[in-house]
Amino acid sequence: MHLVTSLLGNADDPELHDVLHRLEHAGRVEWLVLPRADMARRRLRAVTDQGSEIAVALPRDVSLFDKAVLVLSDNQAVVLRVEAENWLCLKPHDQAAALALGYHAGNLHWRVRFDGAVLQVALEAPVESYVQRLHTFIEDGRVSIEPPAVAAQGE
Amino acid sequence: MTALGIKPAAPNAARIGIGGPVGSGKTALIECLIPRFQAVGIDLAVITNDLVTKEDAERLQRSGLIDPKRVMAVEAGACPHTVIREDPTLNIAAAEECERRFPNLDLIIIESGGDNLASTFSLDLVDWWMFVIDVAQGDDIPRKRGPAILQADLLVINKTDLAPYVGVDAEAVLAEALQIRDSRPTIACRCRGGDSDPGLDAIVEAIGHDVLFTARGAAP
Ligand SMILES: Nc1nc2c(ncn2[C@@H]2O[C@H](COP(=O)(O)OP(=O)(O)O)[C@@H](O)[C@H]2O)c(=O)[nH]1
Ligand SMILES: [Mg+2]
Repeated sequence: MHLVTSLLGNADDPELHDVLHRLEHAGRVEWLVLPRADMARRRLRAVTDQGSEIAVALPRDVSLFDKAVLVLSDNQAVVLRVEAENWLCLKPHDQAAALALGYHAGNLHWRVRFDGAVLQVALEAPVESYVQRLHTFIEDGRVSIEPPAVAAQGE
Repeated sequence: MTALGIKPAAPNAARIGIGGPVGSGKTALIECLIPRFQAVGIDLAVITNDLVTKEDAERLQRSGLIDPKRVMAVEAGACPHTVIREDPTLNIAAAEECERRFPNLDLIIIESGGDNLASTFSLDLVDWWMFVIDVAQGDDIPRKRGPAILQADLLVINKTDLAPYVGVDAEAVLAEALQIRDSRPTIACRCRGGDSDPGLDAIVEAIGHDVLFTARGAAP
């Protein structure tokens, strides 16, 4: 198990790029893929795509980020990637519905982003648990569910 | 066996939260955890949140289980959720004070002042948190979902000893909770009259594995 108590940089940093590139050619770069919600943690335990166990215990003033280099040696690197997120896209049909939907999403502490007239809700639990909370909006046609936004890696 | 030799390298103590409705057994669970962690050399402190008193802190200080100086009280005032979620400043300050007083701490346990099912812990405050419910509150609590039930790193269903008296099938509650939580960690236990309760050992093991970094299947 690797204990990670500091972050070594960003995989895109020029001074790390070459060594990572070389390790990647040798098949020695492992990815630790974590959900976005875990970026707020200072301590966690997880397993890389190659099965290596990683224990993170960071100082309280350090935060994880996408492409953080966690482990780097002559023959191994571990780089963090944030899991692609799925968003539930909601289209309110008029201004009154938009007001009510915005209030509702805030009241439920949902993480949202705005895409023009569509409200996107980050899915941090099974989609049904969100749709159930919206049933009155959907039943009376005030809000409709749009096709999903394309999930972007590490965005 | 302490944290597999990596204990000295961790730059600080792990911080874990214990939330749950008033009376579900949060303090009782802490009373059960303290001797189990002490037995394996885990250096710990406890922070309790009460509304306007220090009731829980004083109970732990009187318990004889732990050095009273290792128990701190935070008075949450009118809103117990705010101090663990939106604005955990008071609790963060208390945790930092614990670390100053006891530089070798491995673990800080933070008990909330009592929550409804909407309550969650800020990950700025804790690294990992559990939510404690009990069978005597009815068998429909997991079904009512709520962010606490869905998002907790561990859901604890306490007071299994009371199940027969309140007409609840503890096994069925556990099975339903596991299904609702998509098989994320969920453990049934009893904090009274069950000194050798396997559920309590499983909770210690889960904390050891997830934040103290012990091997799976080992006590911390
Ligand atoms: N029968 C039984 N009683 C329990 C159990 N756990 C806690 N209690 C009792 O439940 C009451 C509330 O417990 P407490 O720890 O103060 O709950 P808190 O408000 O969540 O901290 C106390 O009288 C405890 O003794 C249990 O597993 N079985
Ligand atoms: Mg209590």
